[in-house]
Amino acid sequence: MKVSDVLSYAFGAIRLRKLRAGLTTLGVVIGIAAIVALLSISQGLQDTITEQLQTGFATDTLIVSAGGGFGMGPGAMTATESDFKLLINYTQIINELENVRVAVAIIQKASYVKFGEREFILTIVGVNFTKYTNIYSSTFVAETGEIPLDPENETVVVGKRVSDPWKNGTSFCDVDDTVEIIWTNASRLPPKNETYVGHVAAVLKEIGGFSLTGPSDFSVYIPISQAQSFFGTDECDMIIVQLENDDEATIESVSEAIDEAFSGQVSVTSSTAVLDIISSVFSTVEIFLAGIAAISLLVAGIGIMNIMIVSLMERTREIGILKALGMKSRTVLLIFLSEAVIVGLMGAAFGIASGWGLANVVARVFSGGGGFMGAGNHAAAAGRMTITPVLTPTVFLGALAFGLIVSVIFALYPAWRASKLKPVEALRYE
Amino acid sequence: MTTPVVERTNVKKTYMLGKVPVNALQGVNLKVEKGDFVAISGPSGSGKSTLLNMIGALDKPTEGKVFIEGVNVSTLNDNGLADLRRRIGFVFQFFNLIPRLTARGNVELTMSITGLGRDERRKRAEGLLETVGLKERVNHKPAELSGGERQRVAIARALANNPKFLLMDEPTGNIDSKTAKEIIELVMRLNEEKGATIIIVTHDQQIASQAKRTVQMLDGLIV
Ligand SMILES: Nc1ncnc2c1ncn2[C@@H]1O[C@H](COP(=O)(O)OP(=O)(O)OP(=O)(O)O)[C@@H](O)[C@H]1O
Ligand SMILES: [Mg+2]
Repeated sequence: MKVSDVLSYAFGAIRLRKLRAGLTTLGVVIGIAAIVALLSISQGLQDTITEQLQTGFATDTLIVSAGGGFGMGPGAMTATESDFKLLINYTQIINELENVRVAVAIIQKASYVKFGEREFILTIVGVNFTKYTNIYSSTFVAETGEIPLDPENETVVVGKRVSDPWKNGTSFCDVDDTVEIIWTNASRLPPKNETYVGHVAAVLKEIGGFSLTGPSDFSVYIPISQAQSFFGTDECDMIIVQLENDDEATIESVSEAIDEAFSGQVSVTSSTAVLDIISSVFSTVEIFLAGIAAISLLVAGIGIMNIMIVSLMERTREIGILKALGMKSRTVLLIFLSEAVIVGLMGAAFGIASGWGLANVVARVFSGGGGFMGAGNHAAAAGRMTITPVLTPTVFLGALAFGLIVSVIFALYPAWRASKLKPVEALRYE
Repeated sequence: MTTPVVERTNVKKTYMLGKVPVNALQGVNLKVEKGDFVAISGPSGSGKSTLLNMIGALDKPTEGKVFIEGVNVSTLNDNGLADLRRRIGFVFQFFNLIPRLTARGNVELTMSITGLGRDERRKRAEGLLETVGLKERVNHKPAELSGGERQRVAIARALANNPKFLLMDEPTGNIDSKTAKEIIELVMRLNEEKGATIIIVTHDQQIASQAKRTVQMLDGLIV
C-alpha cells in the first residue's frame, strides 16, 4: 500500500471521529502550549535580564564591597562581620593594580527628595561624575542639560523616571529646578535631618529596566565630594572597578589582586559571575517548568492511548476486513501510527501557536502598567521590565518533536494490538 | 496433472466455547483443481463458512492441512498470508464493507492495498460497480444501500484485483433473481473465459446446478 494511501486512510478515520480526535488533539495542544509558553517567557525574561545587566553592569567591571555584598567573589567565603570599612580613598589602592583602568567609589543612601510640594523616597547616589561617565559611557548620558564634570557645587543629576515618573510628560523636575534632599542621620542621637539643596544640571536619558550597579532611571546623583560631606562619612558602599578588558583571565587576576590587597575583607563581584548565576538559576527554573508541562503531555499521551484502544475495539471488524483483503500487519500498524502522528503534529502545531500567543499575552500583562513611581530603589524597578517572549528554534523543534514522540509512543501498543488481530476473529466481532 | 488449487486433507476445526468444544469441521477432504467451479451447499451450521474461511486463508485448521496452490497455509507468515489473500476474491456472507467508505471507496480499497494508482483504481472501481448494476450508487455509503446493493458492492470488491480464485459465501442470498442471474453469469464468464477457480456456497439449486461440481455438507462433514 502506498504511503499516500495509508495517510489518506488514516485521515479519513480521524475525520469520522472529529469530536474525539479533536479532544485528543486538545490534550496535546494544552501540553505543548504550556511548554512553549513557559519556556518562551522564561527565555524572554532571561534575555531581558541579561541584556539589562549588560547595559547597566558593563562586563568589564568588578564591584568591590565590604564583607558580604553580592558574595560571589572569593572574599565572600571568609568575610565576617568585622570592623572593616570600605573607604572612599581605597580607590587609589585599587587604581594602582595592574589591568585596572579606573576605580570609582559610590555612596548610596535612601533619602527623601522634595520637588516643590511632592516628596519621595529615592536612592541618592554619590559618585565622581567624570569617572562614572567613563565607565558607563552609554547609560550615564544626559538627555537634557549637561552632566557637569568635576563639579564642586551642589549639582544634581536625576534619572529619567525621577523627572518623568509616569512616562507621559508630567514633569516632576527639570533642568535648572531646585530639589531638596532630606536625609535622616540615625547614627547619632537624637537623629538629625540633614538637608541638601541642589540644582538639577541634567536629566539622564532613559536607561530602561533595572540595574544592579550601573546608572538607574530611579536615582538621584550628586558629586561624591558633596555626598561625603552631606552624609558625613568617608565610607562608600561599593567601588566599581573598570578593567582594561573583559577577558576571563583579567577578571580573575584583578579579583584576586583586590582580594589580596584588602586581605580578604572585601568581596569582589564580576558581572560575568552574576550572569552565570542568573543563567544557572534560569536553567533550573526552566527544567522545572518544562517538567511540569511535560507531565501534562504525559496525561495527554495516556489520553491518546485510551482513545486509541477504544477506537481499536470499535474498529476490530474494520481491521479484520482490511486484513482479509490482504493488508499486511505492518500496514495496519502504519495506519494506526499515522493517525497518532497526525494527531501529534496537529496538536504540536496548534500547541506551539497557542503557547506563543499565550506567552505574548502574559508578557504584555506583566510588562504593562507603566511608571508607577514607588520607592525608587533598584528592586522596585524590576517590576517595570518589558519581557519579549522568545521562541528559540530549539524550543520550537523540541516541542514539535515532543508532541509527536508522546503521541506515537502511546499509540504503539494499541497499534501493535490492532496489527496482531486475526481476520476471522475480527470479522466475527459484532 | 497440475497441483490442485485447493487441497484439504482431513481438516478439522474445533472452536472452544469456554470449555465446550464445537466441532465445526470434523475431517474434511476436498480437492479443487484449477478452473473448477464448485458449489457447496448444506444446512445452516454445517460448517460451510468455516470451510470457506480456511480456503480463503482467513483461518487456520485445528488439525489437518490446507494447501493452496501447493503451499501449506499453516506455514505462511504474515506477509505470505497477505499476498495469498490479495490473489483471492472473497465475498463474505455478511458483506463486511467499511461503513465510512463509499461503494467506490470500498472497491478501491482492495486495489489501494495492492498499490494500484489512484486514477486507475477509480476507473476500474466505477467499471465494476457498473457491471453489478450500481452505476448510480457509487457515492453511497453502505448504510445508504439496500442489503442486495451491499452484496453487489462486496462482489465488485472481490473482483477488483482480477482474482484467479473467487470464494463466495452465499453471494445471491439477498438479491432478486434477475440480478442474481446476471451475477452468476458474470461469475461463469470469469470461470470460462479467464479460467478463474470458483467456490461458491449457496442454497440456490439453480446456481448449484450451473456449477461443474457440487459438494454437500452436513454436520462438519462432506457427504
Ligand atoms: N468462532 C466460533 N466460535 C464457536 N463456534 C463457532 C465459531 N464459528 C463457527 N462456529 C460454529 O461452527 C458451526 C459451523 O459454522 P459455519 O458458520 O461454518 O456454518 P455455515 O454452514 O456457514 O452456516 P450458515 O449457512 O448459517 O451460514 C456452527 O455450529 C457454529 O456455531
Ligand atoms: Mg455461513
